[in-house]
Amino acid sequence: MNVTLLIDAIIFGNLLVLLSIGLTLTYITLKIPNFAHGDFATVGMYVAYYFLVFHKISPYLTLPFAFLVSGTIALLSYLLVFRPLNNRGMSIVGLMVASIAIEVALRSTLHIYADSLTNIYKVISRGFIFRDFGIEISKTLYIPGLLIVSSILTLALVISLYILLTKTKFGIAMRAAIENPDLAEVLGVDVNKVYAVSWFLAGGLAGLAGALVPFRMATDPEIGWMLLLRVFSSSILGGLSSIYGAMLGGYIVGFAEVIGIQVLSNPPFNLSTAYRPAIPFAILIATLLLMPEGLASKIKLEKIAAKIRGVRGQ
Amino acid sequence: MILGIADPVRFAIDVSAFFSIYLMLSISLNLEYGYTGISNFGKVLFLAGGAFTVGALATRTIMNFYSSQIGNYGPYCTANVVYATEASKILANNPSLAIALFISLLILGAIVGGILGYLASYPAIRLKESYLGITLLASGELLRIIARNYDPLICGSLGVSVPDILAWLPVSIKEVVQVGIMLTIAFITWYFVEKLARSPFGRLIRAIRDNEVAAEAFGKNVVKIRMQVLVAGSAIAGIAGALYAFYTKSVYADDFMPIRTFIVWVMVILGGAGNNIGAALGALIYVLTERLIMQYKHMIPAPFDVNYLSYIIFGIVLILILLYRPQGILPEKPSKTISFEKVIKKIKQE
Repeated sequence: MNVTLLIDAIIFGNLLVLLSIGLTLTYITLKIPNFAHGDFATVGMYVAYYFLVFHKISPYLTLPFAFLVSGTIALLSYLLVFRPLNNRGMSIVGLMVASIAIEVALRSTLHIYADSLTNIYKVISRGFIFRDFGIEISKTLYIPGLLIVSSILTLALVISLYILLTKTKFGIAMRAAIENPDLAEVLGVDVNKVYAVSWFLAGGLAGLAGALVPFRMATDPEIGWMLLLRVFSSSILGGLSSIYGAMLGGYIVGFAEVIGIQVLSNPPFNLSTAYRPAIPFAILIATLLLMPEGLASKIKLEKIAAKIRGVRGQ
Repeated sequence: MILGIADPVRFAIDVSAFFSIYLMLSISLNLEYGYTGISNFGKVLFLAGGAFTVGALATRTIMNFYSSQIGNYGPYCTANVVYATEASKILANNPSLAIALFISLLILGAIVGGILGYLASYPAIRLKESYLGITLLASGELLRIIARNYDPLICGSLGVSVPDILAWLPVSIKEVVQVGIMLTIAFITWYFVEKLARSPFGRLIRAIRDNEVAAEAFGKNVVKIRMQVLVAGSAIAGIAGALYAFYTKSVYADDFMPIRTFIVWVMVILGGAGNNIGAALGALIYVLTERLIMQYKHMIPAPFDVNYLSYIIFGIVLILILLYRPQGILPEKPSKTISFEKVIKKIKQE
């Protein structure tokens, strides 16, 4: 198997996992798919680009800023738009329309920012890529820095999310508030605060993924929107309500897309690589037709654990 | 010059043409969302379906029938502007052929729209609104990507020209007649949706919107009816797409970005969901604003494309409406019933 292809697939999977976990975090609070999620990533990308161009700092070092800025924008969109709408009893469709409105406004703002960069500061603002470091192990094996950084980042974030959600008091309160908001409120959990933290984390994770995207592909303000289809596909494959499902879905969609298009663009298929988005789309449709509850519903950790215990007990 | 508009007649024709197309889109979305509560985030898919039908078939049909009169100018895609011009010349001498082609392509556009509506909603129509919205939106993007890369359809990213279907009319009245036809078709669809909304079927779809479980408990097949509404709405959008292709005389895949869907949502929510006059008002407000921005765009000194600024403003307006006036400018009215006095009178007579 081609090693470069495998590296590509892992990197793309890592980015999708970061994005899908965020989308799932916002979905479990208000039960709406946030159409602006991709644009949180684009914001993170332009934050990294700003520091690279104007202060000459490597995008790897400015990841915390990308996290903070994207997280803040996500938090503001929750506090200023989604929470008031939800409190007024807006329907799910109404909330989705609001998220599309935020998406359009954010993407247009980024276009204006990019146009201004070009016209005022004479800086390239579309189609740029970041230069990456890398380790050459042998003539055929070259490990890009992005593989190391994105893998460590994804792994570290998944582990810390796991610790946050299962070991800390706040995380347990968070899960309770998501499972049953009314009951959690009665027991003294500040549901609003929990939701706000979820939105901030979701935006921040998207910002991290966005800041890493230009290492891999040429970008413009539309990139977040273009990634969104993959994110929806992997989140729905994961079940839209489970963080581990989103992780699994992200890797499956990432691998399927990178390896799938490689297979399809070579003989005997000879398809254009422009059809790449058709792969996540096919996964989305197949998931909806075959198991709309997603993978998370099929893989029940508790049941597996109980089975193992049962075998031991006999 | 009025309001600094160089050519007021041209401006009025332009506004009327875009108004009639957006009226059909907003009225069909009103049928789907306003009355039935379906989250159709893929409106542009059905518009594109109709437009691609015309783009793919209009010139080719004439070329097939009149192959002897059209010379060979090379491959269809690289020379399709020439072929379309030749086709226009043939249509100029054949009014009956032009009318037949126009009507049959409109019907075909409606059929393609309806079929796309059925196919795209099939995987998710039984599921939650959010899944349906995502699926329709993604399907629209997929169709655009296919159209841009699959040359036999509309020549990929080059786009195709559409022959002038009214080439047999004198130039002086051609555009007025075309816009007149478009407005007539748009108002016929408006009237159709208005009648539908007031019929027993209209009460049924409102019942589904307000309480799906109750409608199901009364023995109504909710999934089937939602599907019917979506297919009807998509067919209307397909006709709108065909008219759009005939009006602009060209079809480009990248003309059908998801932003168009968003614009139609702005119209319906601004005007008032569940009110057909509201949907028409929303379309009129948007088209006027957009066309005026196009007129004055060059006068605004900005280091960026002014269109983006208008999108930001529409986004903010939409959110403010959802927050402070979710029923829109013209709220939904209760269904018309026989007046109370008349009923009392009739009872007294008996």
